[in-house]
Amino acid sequence: MSCVCVLTPVVIAAWPSFSAAVLSAAATLGYSVATSDSSESSTRQVSLQVERSEIVTDPLGRDQRLSIFRDGVTITFSRDARGRAAICVTGLGRTDEELRTLGQELGQRVVQQYVYQRLKSEMAARQMMIVEEAVDGGHAIRLKVRQWKN
Amino acid sequence: MPNREFDLTIHPDGRVEVHVKGFPGKACLEAAKFFEETVGEMLTQQATHELYEPEEQVQYRLENRR
Repeated sequence: MSCVCVLTPVVIAAWPSFSAAVLSAAATLGYSVATSDSSESSTRQVSLQVERSEIVTDPLGRDQRLSIFRDGVTITFSRDARGRAAICVTGLGRTDEELRTLGQELGQRVVQQYVYQRLKSEMAARQMMIVEEAVDGGHAIRLKVRQWKN
Repeated sequence: MPNREFDLTIHPDGRVEVHVKGFPGKACLEAAKFFEETVGEMLTQQATHELYEPEEQVQYRLENRR
């Protein structure tokens, strides 16, 4: 009466829910929202994408861009021309590899937060209750969920 | 009524591991489908030995009483 499965996430989100995941992930890694575009001509820049992502177009045409900042590194999330979530990492005095690592780390955490928020809302709609919740030393979110039979 | 339990691990890279417990027989695999629809693509799915237990049955015992 039990089975184990492993799932790889697909992010299909409207900008508000995606940007909420960005802010949650940024907070867990000590980033804060950048108030202005701090990129200078001398900074290095690396572009990445969130794998298997699709950001739904905002019908109101609002700006779909969010920048966060930590230790001289600015990471900007946006929707690219193909609708995927794009990540642009800029920083002074950093190698491309360092910037890529920071961008990938944050990009993965954004996906983790997106999945967490989505699971929470979908499970609540099915009367599935989270009875235990913890973040382990490896930064994995562990949930124990119960559903009572009708 | 007995409850059904799910142990979820959302890894830092977004992968999700789900341990589904308390579903009779192959209903367990159907329950896992909810997570596939919510999260994304199923990478692996493994049934434990309990999967092969018979599905729930309701039994009535009739006794003659004097």
